[in-house]
Amino acid sequence: MAKKTYDLLFKLLLIGDSGVGKTCVLFRFSDDAFNTTFISTIGIDFKIKTVELQGKKIKLQIWDTAGQERFHTITTSYYRGAMGIMLVYDITNAKSFENISKWLRNIDEHANEDVERMLLGNKCDMEDKRVVPKAKGEQIAREHGIRFFETSAKANINIEKAFLTLAEDILRKTPVKEPNSENVDISSGGGVTGWKSKCCS
Amino acid sequence: MEVGEESSPTLAFEKDALDLTVEDVYDISYVIGRDLLKISSTGEEVSDLKFRIVRILEMFETLVNKYNLSLEELKMERDNLKSELDRLIKDGSAGQRIVGPNQLLVDLTDPNRPRFTMQELKEVLQERNRLKAQLMVAQEELQLYKSGILPQAEPAMVEVDLEIPATTEHSSATINDAKEERMTIGKL
Repeated sequence: MAKKTYDLLFKLLLIGDSGVGKTCVLFRFSDDAFNTTFISTIGIDFKIKTVELQGKKIKLQIWDTAGQERFHTITTSYYRGAMGIMLVYDITNAKSFENISKWLRNIDEHANEDVERMLLGNKCDMEDKRVVPKAKGEQIAREHGIRFFETSAKANINIEKAFLTLAEDILRKTPVKEPNSENVDISSGGGVTGWKSKCCS
Repeated sequence: MEVGEESSPTLAFEKDALDLTVEDVYDISYVIGRDLLKISSTGEEVSDLKFRIVRILEMFETLVNKYNLSLEELKMERDNLKSELDRLIKDGSAGQRIVGPNQLLVDLTDPNRPRFTMQELKEVLQERNRLKAQLMVAQEELQLYKSGILPQAEPAMVEVDLEIPATTEHSSATINDAKEERMTIGKL
């Protein structure tokens, strides 16, 4: 049988307004790098990073969406397959914070019901330009019962922590499988996660 | 000034005030002057009256002159604007069209103009992401070979799960399985 380089595959999705730093957050996590030039994401992109949690090798397939409205139809079609969604806003951009409710509605509309959600207030290194207090982020996260971190892709603050926490939350929901069984087809829809087959059948 | 038939200068009195020309004013002056001569009575009163009438006729001449000049200027201005508008409409209909709300004008000479549909972009992105996934798998395999973890002879297969979203936005959840496309990549 095929020899797997990982035990589990988790699909994550990054959403939020254009320019809040979704691609930079992902780039910091996957390549531990940061680029100041702003290149708007076209439609949808992804990166892969394998992490180890509770003795399991977990392959994270992280989808990075374009925040621009014109890509809406493309990006929303990727919500369905996501097990975890990171909603990113920019603490220096009030509009991106106001739009959180719009993005949460998108999740309700297009994602699986039991998708794990997380709120990130990015660019927290830019304290002098902050317009969204941390308490407001914490409050809206509490209201929706989701986790919240303030992050900085530039200063590498809370990036890894956020991804690992999200992965852990998904792992907690994932039914325990025989970890060493080589017969488990990780990639098949039913095999990877019980909760997924539950929601799709 | 023409002193031809008697009837022609008096026609100026029949005209609409706004149609009067300076020539008409001269005709009116002529007729009034002639009539004043008919009175032909001497005396200071008539003489003073004559001067006042002449003065009024001069003012009348100025006003009519001014009015006609202004009218002429406005007409010219109007004609210029009209021809300008005609030119713009003619130019416009060659390349562009008047569009309604929610419609976009596309400059066909712009090399950067939008040309592809959202569906086409979607397909290209899916293709790109599929190839990217294949490359990642190949790189991973290569790494394993290099480190000697995998024996070269083993005809192993590796699968990558890459979801291809359905073309329709609101697809039911049951389609989900069909949406998933699994690629099997044989080891080189």
